[in-house]
Amino acid sequence: MDKRDKYLIPLIVGFIPFIFLLLFYFYPLAGIFLRSFFDQNDFTFQSILSFKLLKQAVFFTNFLKIFQSSRILSIIWFTFWQASVSTILTLIVALPCSYVMGTFEFKGKKLIMTLATLPFVLPTIVVATSFQIIPSLIQDITLLLLNSQVVNLLLGEHIKNSLLDNQFLNFLKNENPMVMIFFAHVFYNFSVVLRITSSFWSSLSKDMKEAASILGANNFQTFFKITLPLLKPAIFASAMLVFIFCFSSFGVVLILGGPSFSTIEVEIYRQAAHLFNLPVASILSLFQILFTFGMMLLYTRLQKKIDRFTPESEKFSLKKPYSAIEKLLIFLSVLFIILLCGFPMAALLLKSIYYKGSLSLIFYRELFLNSSGSIFYVSPIVAISNSLMFAFITIIMALIVGSCAAILIKQCSYTNENLEINRNFGIKKNIASLQTLFGKLLEPIFMLPLSTSAVTLGFGMIITLDKPPLNLRTSLFLIPIIHTLVAFPFVVRAVLPALKSIPLSLKESASIMGASPFRVWLHIELPIIARALSIGAIFAFTVSLGEFGAALFAARPEFTTMPITIYKLLGQPGIMNYGQAMAMSSILMLVTSIGFIFIENIRQFGHEGF
Amino acid sequence: MNSYNNELDIKNICFKQGADNILLNINISIKKGQLLSILGPSGCGKTTLLRIIAGFEKPYSGEILFREKNMSNLPTHKRNFGMMFQDFALFPHKNVFQNISFGLEMKKLPKKEIALRVQEMLELVNLEQYGKRDIRELSGGERQRVALARTLAPSPDLIMLDEPLGALDRQLRERLLSDLCFILNRTREKRTKRKIAKTEEIKSRISEKNEVNKPITTIWVTHDHNEAFAVSDIVCVMGSGKVEQIDSIENLRNSPANKVVADFLGL
Repeated sequence: MDKRDKYLIPLIVGFIPFIFLLLFYFYPLAGIFLRSFFDQNDFTFQSILSFKLLKQAVFFTNFLKIFQSSRILSIIWFTFWQASVSTILTLIVALPCSYVMGTFEFKGKKLIMTLATLPFVLPTIVVATSFQIIPSLIQDITLLLLNSQVVNLLLGEHIKNSLLDNQFLNFLKNENPMVMIFFAHVFYNFSVVLRITSSFWSSLSKDMKEAASILGANNFQTFFKITLPLLKPAIFASAMLVFIFCFSSFGVVLILGGPSFSTIEVEIYRQAAHLFNLPVASILSLFQILFTFGMMLLYTRLQKKIDRFTPESEKFSLKKPYSAIEKLLIFLSVLFIILLCGFPMAALLLKSIYYKGSLSLIFYRELFLNSSGSIFYVSPIVAISNSLMFAFITIIMALIVGSCAAILIKQCSYTNENLEINRNFGIKKNIASLQTLFGKLLEPIFMLPLSTSAVTLGFGMIITLDKPPLNLRTSLFLIPIIHTLVAFPFVVRAVLPALKSIPLSLKESASIMGASPFRVWLHIELPIIARALSIGAIFAFTVSLGEFGAALFAARPEFTTMPITIYKLLGQPGIMNYGQAMAMSSILMLVTSIGFIFIENIRQFGHEGF
Repeated sequence: MNSYNNELDIKNICFKQGADNILLNINISIKKGQLLSILGPSGCGKTTLLRIIAGFEKPYSGEILFREKNMSNLPTHKRNFGMMFQDFALFPHKNVFQNISFGLEMKKLPKKEIALRVQEMLELVNLEQYGKRDIRELSGGERQRVALARTLAPSPDLIMLDEPLGALDRQLRERLLSDLCFILNRTREKRTKRKIAKTEEIKSRISEKNEVNKPITTIWVTHDHNEAFAVSDIVCVMGSGKVEQIDSIENLRNSPANKVVADFLGL
């Protein structure tokens, strides 16, 4: 490779993700920022330059107005409160299971871990739908049980009757939205805690515990003085992630919470889409962005601490269960995971094929008919094909942007390695250290979109990319672009380790045998990263299929996606609409599940984190 | 041989993993204050034997007697043994001081006494100024010495060293071997004398446990015969789950019991 190639290729490759981020991430965010500082109508470059806008700066008045409003304050308080409670509940539920998963090796463990992780990749709309039906399902089951002969014999007529007409049923009937929201959040985030802590737990070396016990510590002391302090960063990091997810919870709260409950995220949507109050939506978005950024920063710092505590030699100390108690523990946690993660999904499937007391596929059939004859009707089949088309475009864009970003990051880390050689050349040294700094910053920069909520992204794009030269408001590409923003960091995460795993000598040996740079790439690099690319592609696919917030914001009626259709069907009266929502959710759930199970099976590394 | 003289008796120990015999009828006796090294190629069951003595593993059959008391049902943390792990197993969330003091805290000693004892241990391993250091900041050799100090601090009745030099490179091994011998000998000789100079309370505590000038019984596991010859009073040569020969260094050199021993010692 001559010198020109050496710099030209990274330049071209690096250009793509940068332009993409600049145009579709930073520019919309800046738009939100400006909106919240200045009055909505005109901010042009001239007015900014001539400081005219400063006079119109309404940020503080807006700010004061918003934060004096008791409604907004209570929404902010609710957002924090529900996120904290959800996080604590998730930890309480997940940590005992992660002890079992991090300590023992048993048959079918991988299957259980996959089942436990499934909820995390399910579209929010599917989760919300399945939790909506759980209370009525529990009620049905209880009634069925109470009316059966067995219960009659066991409890006696008297108790049964008192149960039937008393508050017990009322309690079940009473759908407390808060309970459902918490339940859904635990269901959703259970695997985040489970996977992060159990993989860390199993990597804690057995030596450490044995060293403590030979120094005189009993099991109890070993746990509280050694194991728990070592686990602490992993627990905090996972709790932090769960908190961020619950803090920016959108679909679950929008659907399960009804009009009386609203997180900041839901409020941004309501203010912008229902009330057209853009300044308030902007300020709330700004608040949301700053807060999640802060949390993300804290999370990355914790992540570093985890690395520090992770033993240098990766030995996984999993043991087979011997005693009856250990076997019982495994049985209980497996049962719990099946109930927690499997039950809502099974409930959804069941509801979608249960019509008037018998099993039927009527809802699925109905999806393809316009029986109400509405002219506003967008056939669900159109939604399905839209979703698939968006997913397809997203895959292509995410793969291009993601792998370019990965190549750029790797290129910069090569420069780090060459730093030593460059030390002796004065100016070069400065350039090299600048490149090092740049390389270190690259990875977090490309991860930024992950910490920004989809609703914020959608909102930012609508208010900034709405006039020529770049008017995306009516464009087919608006939604795929938002989905790419969310999906391409996953591609980077999948491809980068694979790229880094290719030793330089491999490429050098190919080129010394006469392969041109392109052929080296084609015959050496591409086959090695193909698996990682396919993982990234499936990630992009599932993200795009299930994404709800941004699509709700940005999708025009003719570009309706599956999640939006489910949402709309849920909002319409009648058992047919409801049933169709179940059917569509089931389809979405199955497609995402298949995609995820596929990823789990081709994932190369023993890596279990996120 | 009068069994009363034996500090540790390993009797007919067998250990199985699935259908494989890892250890087969191991019988070893160690007298009080002796340093025995267990020498053998990797995979011969040395470490497993140590783990059984420590109580980490339950033997398939046989028993471990310490001072004529059967240890089989005594959990590890009540045995008052010390063990230095191959990769040192220092606690990464604790600093040097906290690592060394861990065993003393478990004995619920008063804080003052702990601080004194830790300082004494740090002096012993020549790391006086290192108390507040993070474990990650230490070099391999320093870690080894901290691990040794941590093992010695609670005054165990028996010390086990599992390939104490295994994790280090060759040059360091040679230097640290002599250091380690020196430190061990110093503890073995001067334990109580040094203590007398400190508080009266500690003195009485220590002399209760260890008679004056009696060194700690030590088991040193290694695959390097030079190392074994340099440190031990007696050497036990093991080959694939069996004891091949237990003898003094001189006898081993002059009359190896069989071809396995001779080959392994390079004779």
